[in-house]
Amino acid sequence: MKFLPYVLKHLRRSWVRTLSTIIGMALCIFLICTLQTVLDAIRKTTEAANPSRVVTRHAVSLTFNMPLAYKPRIQTLPGVRRVAVSNWFGGVYRDMKDFFPNFAVESEDYFPMYPEYVVAPAEYGAYLADMQGALVGRDLAEKYGFNIGDTFQMESIIPPYRVSGPLKFNVRGIYDAPPGKRSSVNTGMMFFHFKYLNETIRGQRGAGAYSGAGTFSVQVTDPGGTAAVMRAIDTNFENSDVQTKTETEGAFLAGFIALTGNLVGLLNGVGLAVGFTILLVTANTMSMAVRERRTEIAVLKTLGFSSRLVMALIIGEAFTIAAVSGLIGVGLARGAVGGLASLPFMGLLLGNFPALEVSPVVGSLTFLLAVGLGTAAGLVPAMGAYRTRITDALRSV
Amino acid sequence: MASVEVRQVTKVYKRDAQEIVVLNGIDLTVPDGEFVALMGPSGSGKTTLLNLIAGIDRATSGNIMVGSTLVTSLSEGDLARWRSRHVGFIFQFYNLIPVLSALENVELPLLLTSLSKAQRRERALTALKVVGLADRAKHYPRQLSGGQEQRVAIARAIVTDPAVLVADEPTGDLDAKSAEDILDLLDLLNREFKKTIVMVTHDPRAAARAHVERHLEKGRLAA
Repeated sequence: MKFLPYVLKHLRRSWVRTLSTIIGMALCIFLICTLQTVLDAIRKTTEAANPSRVVTRHAVSLTFNMPLAYKPRIQTLPGVRRVAVSNWFGGVYRDMKDFFPNFAVESEDYFPMYPEYVVAPAEYGAYLADMQGALVGRDLAEKYGFNIGDTFQMESIIPPYRVSGPLKFNVRGIYDAPPGKRSSVNTGMMFFHFKYLNETIRGQRGAGAYSGAGTFSVQVTDPGGTAAVMRAIDTNFENSDVQTKTETEGAFLAGFIALTGNLVGLLNGVGLAVGFTILLVTANTMSMAVRERRTEIAVLKTLGFSSRLVMALIIGEAFTIAAVSGLIGVGLARGAVGGLASLPFMGLLLGNFPALEVSPVVGSLTFLLAVGLGTAAGLVPAMGAYRTRITDALRSV
Repeated sequence: MASVEVRQVTKVYKRDAQEIVVLNGIDLTVPDGEFVALMGPSGSGKTTLLNLIAGIDRATSGNIMVGSTLVTSLSEGDLARWRSRHVGFIFQFYNLIPVLSALENVELPLLLTSLSKAQRRERALTALKVVGLADRAKHYPRQLSGGQEQRVAIARAIVTDPAVLVADEPTGDLDAKSAEDILDLLDLLNREFKKTIVMVTHDPRAAARAHVERHLEKGRLAA
């Protein structure tokens, strides 16, 4: 500790360089921490998928709907407990920047399958009783100030659901996550009755029109028999015009994420590149600092500082820069990551996950990464200082 | 107190395939409390000999004994520890650390001891008093004149109370008045504090302040 003031004084010597290095590193750490938080949210969401639920969709793409007549056919298959239509409505509230995930669901069958959406019985009853009723998540309600009884409008961006005007909704309930599950349950979504959407379409386009089913959420009686049920569903529609693809909820969520490309690979790739940048930035700074101080290193050694101690002092400087940068970067990420979902485009993706927050594990690992990389970057110049011969360095004055 | 015994010391530098003999079989004895000036033309090996005595370079062959320590037999780590306790080095260009104040520069060698912070500060201040710069303790090197910087460097050299001081052209970068002050100070350290001093110099006036003058020519001590 008695050498700490010495280390700090050296860092203050070229304060512009030290500060710019810290800012550069902190931004890199902020980026890594944020990306890892998004990956963490994706992982938690897919891990939290219920093994007793499977999702059936159009075999070609999620963007095509299936006939509603499939529901009773799925319902009669052995091992199936419940089936509910669930359609991604793609409704926009006020403006695209206010986008949040919203689904038209067959509420009576859908919510019994999803006990993780906790809603007061009275509110749930009021929701079921109101054709235009809406259930909103706690985070969403807090974000937009929704209260029970509020009304609002939304218009879909998906052509089949675009009717003559926006749909009107009444907030009838606010759902929460069960205690202790807040990090894995998305309370930033909104649900409304599928029959409201379907009948609005019929009312405006004629009796033959209907919305179709985007997905069927299927609950199986025995989680051990999930694979057999999935096979049975797809086999059932194998020779139909519209074939299906049934997958576990986790696989479905992973597939949904994959719609945006290899997101996990991309984020990890960016993280790797940023990490490498940290290494180069710090190594460059420390190399410059050591090169400028060759004579001082020789003087320290002349005074009796061992080569190891000189090396430790230089690594100490790199460590200090890295630690300060790590703290700032993680701090920035903690402050900013919650706002990511409100960014254009990012919101479309991130809105499907529980509220983003930097977990202690991600924060700590990112900080350790900063310190590790920064210290490693100081190793090469420190080794140079270790090997510096006093007479050579003094002669080069 | 320590004497310096240099016996049959040779230093050879290798530059590519060429061998350059800088010191060739040097024998030198500096008794306890002596003040010796090493003189000679550039390239005669003065600084090399000084570096070998101070333990910051290694002889190709021969032995150097400082006090009771055979310096030439010490490992790198032991040599660093020995330097920190037994030798004070005074450079031509002072070589103070610019980001540290005069007091912090003088305190630097004491960081290697087990002294408390208060004890280190007290000793550093005492050393600055000896060189007459206690009132400049908080000044940084850029705020001091050349002569003052060299005096701070001398304070740094004596703060651990070493028996031997080695000075490499300590007045080489100073004006005549400052050079006189530095020589007075070295004289004081030799007379009052009984320091053994080995000084390399080109300046005959500086050499005249030493008790003994030795001349080096082409790596050999003149008789």
